[in-house]
Amino acid sequence: MAKQTLTFSARIEIRGLTKRFHYHAILDHLSLTINEGDFCVLIGANGAGKTTLLRILAGLIHPTEGEIIFGSGQITNGPNLRRHIGYVGHQSMFYQDLTAAENLMHYARLYRLSDVDKAITNGLNTSGLDQYRNQPVRTFSRGMQQRLSLARAMLHEPEIMLFDEPYTGLDQEAVQFLDKKLKALNQPNRTILMAAHRPHRLLPMASHIAWLKAGKIVEHLPISQLHKSPALKRYLGAPA
Amino acid sequence: MSNILNYLTTFWQMFRKDIQVEWRGRQGVPVMLVFTLLIVFLFNFALQLSPELQSGLAAGLLWVSLAFASTLGLNRSIGLERENSGLDGLLLAPVDRSAIFFAKSLSNFCFTMLVALILLPIFSIFYQQNMIRLPLIGVTLLGLSSYTSLGTLLAALSIQARTRDVLLPVLLYPLALPILIASVEASRAVLDSQPMDHFSSWIYLLLSCTLLFNAAGLLFFETILEE
Repeated sequence: MAKQTLTFSARIEIRGLTKRFHYHAILDHLSLTINEGDFCVLIGANGAGKTTLLRILAGLIHPTEGEIIFGSGQITNGPNLRRHIGYVGHQSMFYQDLTAAENLMHYARLYRLSDVDKAITNGLNTSGLDQYRNQPVRTFSRGMQQRLSLARAMLHEPEIMLFDEPYTGLDQEAVQFLDKKLKALNQPNRTILMAAHRPHRLLPMASHIAWLKAGKIVEHLPISQLHKSPALKRYLGAPA
Repeated sequence: MSNILNYLTTFWQMFRKDIQVEWRGRQGVPVMLVFTLLIVFLFNFALQLSPELQSGLAAGLLWVSLAFASTLGLNRSIGLERENSGLDGLLLAPVDRSAIFFAKSLSNFCFTMLVALILLPIFSIFYQQNMIRLPLIGVTLLGLSSYTSLGTLLAALSIQARTRDVLLPVLLYPLALPILIASVEASRAVLDSQPMDHFSSWIYLLLSCTLLFNAAGLLFFETILEE
């Protein structure tokens, strides 16, 4: 893949981010810095703005105010920046009538990967779906589609991975598969930001936790310092 | 040079994907075709026109059928990108988004043109006019190219709206009025075997509309999708 020649640091710095929908502020002057190599779990109640924040970071929607600096800020151009970001959302983003391999091929070509066939085979193998490569995606279960989504998001080996509630609706087998994949993805040169409504199973893997409340980050601390925030521990359901 | 190549690669990949999805699902063109045939049958039997009147109305009915069919195709095309957030997948890709517009515009045009090519001989039978004429195919090509460019742009605009199925025709038909009038007038002139200079102004209008709406797609498609 023709990657940017500049060295990309997977650091995310968010300054004064505001997003309003019909004059209602979903995110309200939110600031947050996630360093390269961090695995940050983003928690918050329904409607707190987790999805909005992730979609802004992925470049799917524009913020009303504020700025986001990726790395050292050298790469600001849209398409060049999008090369470094992988996003797994609520929906699979697949064309239901196309097969798993055809869907991955479509995305691999859009990302202009140098060896498309190898990337697809690798993606299908690591997601455990190689035997279903020629089956239409509409025949896949939610768990299989989520595994394929992960393969799609990883095709271009991005340095920043954004996940929006990836565990929702998965069966036990798919949950275990995702746990394993996340452990493998958690590397020093990759930054992971994952929104999770119930984050307990992620805490052993994550390095940081950020609490989004009323459009602001009210807590952001390393998991090892979780005991310093009784309010956050209460929110997570553990004894303070 | 590499930028142009990248742009063309994106354009080709998007176009190829649309054709592949249509071929696999066969949910767009057949529906458009059945719908246009129904219109042809309904008008033919409901109006009970004399042969002279029928031939005079053929151009108008052809474009009404094609406009309705094309709107169905546009709804299907953009609905496909909305299904399972396929549009998000496209927006995440490191591509120039105007290439997506041109590819979708071309695929919409191809599907509607295919319907038109099947429709023309059927019109010839029902409306007792020889409609398989190269100049008429040329006018159809130009009119549909303009109509689908505008339609693709407006379909992208309406994709986020809850009422998108209703919104698209409400936005499209008034704005497409110059295209439809020019197409009908040019088609009627061709069917009346008038010389080209009698209807060249309509052709220039269609050419201008095609250029205008494609330029609008190039400039505004990205903004429309993001907002």
